[in-house]
Amino acid sequence: MKTVILFLIPLALLGGVIALFILTGGAGLDDKPAAPVESIDFERIQLHEGSITLTIRNTGQEPVNIGYIAIRDLVAEYTVRPSGGIPRMGAATVTLAYPWVEGEAYEILLFTANAIPFTTSIEAATETLPISLSTLLGFTLIGLYVGVLPVFLGIFWLPALRRLGPKAFTWLMALTIGLLIFLGIDAIAEALEKAGELGSPFQGPGLIGIGAISAFMLLDALSKRRAMANCDEVSTNERIALRISMGIGLHNLGEGLAIGSAFMLGEANLGMFFVIGFILQNITEGLGIIAPLVKQKPSLKYLGLLGLLGGGPAIVGTWLGGLVTLPALSVVFLALGAGAVLEVAFEIGKFIAKKSSTLPLTICSGVIFGMGLLYLTGFLIK
Amino acid sequence: MAILEDFDNGKVSTLPDGRTLREYWIVSEIMIVEVAPGVFYEAWTYNGRVPGPTIRATEGDMLRIYFTNATMHPHTMHFHGIHPGAMDGVFEPVLPGASFVYEFEAAPVGVHPYHCHIMPLASHISRGLYGTFIVDPKGGRPQVDREMVMVMSGIDLDFDNANDLYAVNFIPFYYDKHPIQIFIGERLRIYLVNMLEFDAVNSFHLHANFFDYYPTGTSLVPAEYTDTISQVQAQRGILEFSYQFPGKYMFHAHKTEFAELGWTGIFEVREKP
Ligand SMILES: [Cu+2]
Repeated sequence: MKTVILFLIPLALLGGVIALFILTGGAGLDDKPAAPVESIDFERIQLHEGSITLTIRNTGQEPVNIGYIAIRDLVAEYTVRPSGGIPRMGAATVTLAYPWVEGEAYEILLFTANAIPFTTSIEAATETLPISLSTLLGFTLIGLYVGVLPVFLGIFWLPALRRLGPKAFTWLMALTIGLLIFLGIDAIAEALEKAGELGSPFQGPGLIGIGAISAFMLLDALSKRRAMANCDEVSTNERIALRISMGIGLHNLGEGLAIGSAFMLGEANLGMFFVIGFILQNITEGLGIIAPLVKQKPSLKYLGLLGLLGGGPAIVGTWLGGLVTLPALSVVFLALGAGAVLEVAFEIGKFIAKKSSTLPLTICSGVIFGMGLLYLTGFLIK
Repeated sequence: MAILEDFDNGKVSTLPDGRTLREYWIVSEIMIVEVAPGVFYEAWTYNGRVPGPTIRATEGDMLRIYFTNATMHPHTMHFHGIHPGAMDGVFEPVLPGASFVYEFEAAPVGVHPYHCHIMPLASHISRGLYGTFIVDPKGGRPQVDREMVMVMSGIDLDFDNANDLYAVNFIPFYYDKHPIQIFIGERLRIYLVNMLEFDAVNSFHLHANFFDYYPTGTSLVPAEYTDTISQVQAQRGILEFSYQFPGKYMFHAHKTEFAELGWTGIFEVREKP
C-alpha cells in the first residue's frame, strides 16, 4: 500500500502542474502559430469510370475541413464520407466526379478550409481493380508465381547439393548469409521509403525500429528456448532451416504486400520479364532454406513445410497489399521481414563461425557471392 | 499541305424558301500522331485531322452539321458565332457512339473557331478537338491568289497542363521542314486562329514584310498594317500580304520559346515562271 502511494505522488504532482497550466492559460507559453498547422496523408487513390476516390487521413493537430479540390487546374465536384470535419487521425473518403482518361497523368490539389494546400498525383490513370473473387484469385496466382513456386524450385537443388563436401556446405551457408543480409537491407530501405510518406504522428522510423527489433528479438528468444530442449546436430540443422524459411517467409510477406498494392493501383509491372526475374531471384531463397540440410535426409513432408513457410506468405502478402489500405501497416510488415532475415543471418553466422573458423575465405566469398547474386537478379525486377 | 489549303464548303442545296443549305459530316475520332521523331501522341480529332475540317459558308446560309462521336468520351461541337442556345454545343454532350445535328445560320461574317466544350475543357481542346469556321460576306471577300488556314496550338505530352511543343496546324516544325512555296506578287490571305491551351498569349510574326490585319475578319477594312500581332485563346483574324523579293522568309510566334519549340515555318518565295 505504501509502495502504491509512493508511486502515485509524482502523478498527483503532475496533475497539479497540468491544472496550473490550464487555469493560467498556458502559464505564459500559450503561443499560437501565425497560420494553422495542418497535415494530410493521402493513403489511397482509387479510379473508377468518371470518378476518383481519395482516402485521406488528418495527421495534424486540429480537425480539418476540406475547402475545395482542383484536379489539373479544374475545380472538381466532390463528396466526403463521413461528412463534416475530419478529426485528428481520422480518415475520410473523398470522391471526385471527374472523367479521367486512361493513361493520363493528374495532379490533385486539395485546399483545406484554412487555405492550406496539399497535393497528390496519379502518374498514369487506370481503372482500380474491384475487390472480388477473381481479383483475389489473381493475387493468389501472383503470390504463387513470385513466392511459392520459386522457393520450391530452389528446394529441388537438394539432391545435387548433397553430393558436395563439407567445405561446400560451409560455403553454401555463407552464401545464405549473404542472401539474407541483402534482403534485410532491401527491406529496410523500402520501409524507410514508405515511412517517408507517413504523417508525423505515425513516427515511421520508430515503427521500423519496433518492427525490425521485435522480429529479431522474438526469433532469437525462440531459438534459445528450442536450443535448450534439443541439441543434436541433425535437429540443430533442421531448426536452422526452419528459421531460415520463417525469416524468408516474413520477407516474402513484405514483398507480396508491395506487389499487391501496386497491382491494385494498376502500377504493378507484371510483364513476363518481371515475373521471370522474380522467379530467378526467389529461387535463391529456396537454395538458402535447404543449405543447412544438405548433410541429412529430411522427409518430403518436412521439405514441403519449409517451402510453404518460405513462399506461402507471399500470397498472404498480396492479399494484404491489395485489401488493406493503411500504409503504416506496410511499413510494419517490411520492418518485421527485415528483422527476421537479419536475425537468421546472425544465427547462421554464429553456427558456421563455431565450426569453420578455419575457412575464412570460403565464408567471405560465400557472403559476397550471396549478396552479388541478389544484386544481379535484382536488375531484372527493379 | 492538305490542311493548309483545304476548305469544306459542305454539300450545297437550296431550301424551299430559296436560301442555300450547306451540310457537313463530322466524326470525332482518335488518331495517333507522330508529333516529334519517335514521339507519338493520341490526338482527339474531328474527321481524323487536327485542326478539324475548315467549315466554310456564306453569310445567311443555313448550316446543318451532322456530328457523330466515334470516341470513348463525350464530346460536342461548340461554334463561335450567332445561334440559339440549344445549338451551342455545351449542355448537350454527345455520348460515345451518339450523334447530334447542329443547325444554324452562318453569322457573322468573319473567321471563327469551333471546338469541343466538354469538361475538362483544357484536356479536350489540347487533345485536338478544334477547327476553323469561315463565314464569307455575300459576294465574297476581295479576290486573292491563295488562301490558307493556320491554327496555332500546343501539345502537352505529359499531361501536366503545360505545353511541351507548339505548332501551327498541330505538327511542330512542319512548315519549317516543308516550306510553303509561293510566288513574287502573289496575294495571300491567311485565316489565323489561336487555340493554344495553358499559355496566355500567342503571336504571329512575318519576316521581311508587312500585312493588312482584319481582327476576327468581321470588317473588310483592315484595322492595322503591321508585321506582328498577338492573340489570346480563341482570338483570330485575317492577314493579307504579298512578297516583293525572292528568298526564304520565316514566320513564327514572336515568343521565342514557342518558336523554338515548334511554332516556326517558312515561306519560300520564287519568281513566277
Ligand atoms: Cu471533347
